[in-house]
Amino acid sequence: MSEKSSRRDFVKLVAAGVGGVAVGAGIGYLAAPKGSTTTITSTTTASTTVTQTSPSTQRLTAGFIYVGPVGDYGWTYAHDKGREYAKNKLAWLDTKTVESVEEAKVQGAIETLIGQGAKIIFTTSFGFMDGTAEAAAKHPDIYFAHCSGYKSGAAGNATQNLSTYFAEFYQLYYLNGLAAGAMTESGVLGYVAAVPIPEVIRHINAFVLGAQQTASVRGKTIKCYVQWLNQWFDPEGAKKAATSLVENNNADVLGFTEDTPTVLQVAESYQKQGKKVWSFSHYSDMSKEGPNAHLTGQVVNWGPIYIDFISKAYSNAWESVDYWARIGDFAPYRWANLSKVSIKSEGAVYLAPLNPVIPQDVKDLIALRWEEMKELLFEPFTGPIKDMDGKIRLKEGERATHDILWNMDWQIEGVVTPLP
Amino acid sequence: MEFGTIITTILMLTVQEGSILLFATLGEIFTERSGILNLGLEGMMIIGALTSFTIVYTTGNYLLAVLLAITASLMLSLVHAFASISLRVNQTVSGLAITILGLGLSSFLGRPLALSRARVEPIPAIPIPILKDIPIVGSAFFNQNIIVYLSYILAFLVWFILFKTNFGLNVRSVGENPSMADSLGINVFAIRYISTAVGGALCGLSGALLILGYYPSWYDGITLGRGWIAVALVIFSSWNPLYAIAGAYFFGMMGTLNSTFQSIGFYAIPADFFRMLPYTLTILVLTIFSYTKSKKKFGVPAALGQPYSRES
Repeated sequence: MSEKSSRRDFVKLVAAGVGGVAVGAGIGYLAAPKGSTTTITSTTTASTTVTQTSPSTQRLTAGFIYVGPVGDYGWTYAHDKGREYAKNKLAWLDTKTVESVEEAKVQGAIETLIGQGAKIIFTTSFGFMDGTAEAAAKHPDIYFAHCSGYKSGAAGNATQNLSTYFAEFYQLYYLNGLAAGAMTESGVLGYVAAVPIPEVIRHINAFVLGAQQTASVRGKTIKCYVQWLNQWFDPEGAKKAATSLVENNNADVLGFTEDTPTVLQVAESYQKQGKKVWSFSHYSDMSKEGPNAHLTGQVVNWGPIYIDFISKAYSNAWESVDYWARIGDFAPYRWANLSKVSIKSEGAVYLAPLNPVIPQDVKDLIALRWEEMKELLFEPFTGPIKDMDGKIRLKEGERATHDILWNMDWQIEGVVTPLP
Repeated sequence: MEFGTIITTILMLTVQEGSILLFATLGEIFTERSGILNLGLEGMMIIGALTSFTIVYTTGNYLLAVLLAITASLMLSLVHAFASISLRVNQTVSGLAITILGLGLSSFLGRPLALSRARVEPIPAIPIPILKDIPIVGSAFFNQNIIVYLSYILAFLVWFILFKTNFGLNVRSVGENPSMADSLGINVFAIRYISTAVGGALCGLSGALLILGYYPSWYDGITLGRGWIAVALVIFSSWNPLYAIAGAYFFGMMGTLNSTFQSIGFYAIPADFFRMLPYTLTILVLTIFSYTKSKKKFGVPAALGQPYSRES
């Protein structure tokens, strides 16, 4: 991606006397780098070999149904990047998308895509689940994969042509926490949280757990204030929540689950004023949004998951699965060089670049835990873990199971704000 | 956690959000005072935001960006002016069309910006010496960016123009009784065109402040209904620019209540309640308004929303 050169072209355009309003808006359209590749797409995965072994020259169409516009900056944007990734890797793949589909209208969108020749259809919102399951039952010759739900042939509550998948961030939030615990001066973390469901609670807990690890060796105890937005997309609320956490609660590291980079931008504006406030990436690498304030963060690449599903559909090797992709899943290789400090983009979930200000010992610890979690040698939620009321939730040495993590409805010790 | 800090934080956030609302509200007051109802605020605001963001992203020139944002928004308001003044179409429909057009157009044109994760540096705050050291209110009101300072002045300016100048008298008389104004030699069409354009221009400033001041990256629908809040604010402030200051800050402050209560440990009221408040209050004001005998006191222009034609 040559952002600079395209920007220069732009300036030329402007200089050429293309002025005026509509043109002003249009400039953005022309100027934005075409076919831009992000770090997400810069990886090479072994999954591509699947395509090369396929002898057929037949083409396959995959349909994607999104709940929001691809320019939403968060969820749908990430899925569309994943689609692009798969399309770039698989020469025989055609993709069709339908954006901003209301959850009740998913079946209509599915029919449209089938009409356009789609053989496999991805529906990427929890609310699409029932509609997708019904469509799967109606179209046994079409493959379906639904994101973030619990209905699939594998789970036994839907037909065999339906799979489900999700990318899980809690391990990455734990690694964020390791950085946060090392960077906080006040010992107060802030968390701008979207909707009180187990996924978000699990992320807050993992974040605090990580921070406690690195803060305790520095003689600090961690307190975490949470601000609930009750919305996934709420830049206005996120800005106010982040500002209140910093001003009123003295928080200096801000974790968040909200679809925009607003919290990171707030942290960056504090950095500009000389106040050390840190934050993270969410969904995609946002380090450019906060060159000073960005510590690291959780990034998803749906691409390898899409390649997996699409390749299976293409080669008639389909089986219904329930993917819960964590660190190391869909990674091209299992054993990496431990000496590397920054986390490479690999697999379905990975860390955004680490800020050089993070102390070396913490960077090493992050790299170590990363590799350990990749091999399932380390689980952040290992007892003894108490909840915020002092009740023991995980006994000494007990590891959280998938079900404990999946249904987490309690906050760990150190979180100050009760659940709404 | 000190009491003073909390108040300062509330005020600071209130001024930031309030200023975004204030420009659009002032503009719409001007437009409606001339008898033209423009419901296209949301659409004009987002076109202003997109234009200013695009220009800063490509040229880095903030002044040019703000000026072109104003121009873009103004041109969109002229579409409404042409439809509602010259063609005498239903103003509600035309305004809604402007909003839908603006939202759709910005989504389409802004897509590459969203997909390439374009971002710009926000306009920095410029602390005003001495004034910023006033306890509690100082850093809230006088550590803001230059567009916010402009809003302080502009509210009084709009009030002055509307109520203390000949031109303002003409605008108001056109809004009250266009045929009478016409018979007195006031150019009704020109006044209405100008007033609608003023509304559009200020709306563009709202959009520029929103994106360049506080949310410096582009995503779909970035205005998030602020245009509609401004429409409500016009009624709330009974078409008076000075009340609009209070109204805009009041609405802005309601947006800060959620985060403030949560940060002081008061969790009884959920976020959704606060999100509902501005609309609830507007309905309440409208209800009171409709029960009031003397609507004159409310300041609603008598000819608001009525197309004017010399023949009729």
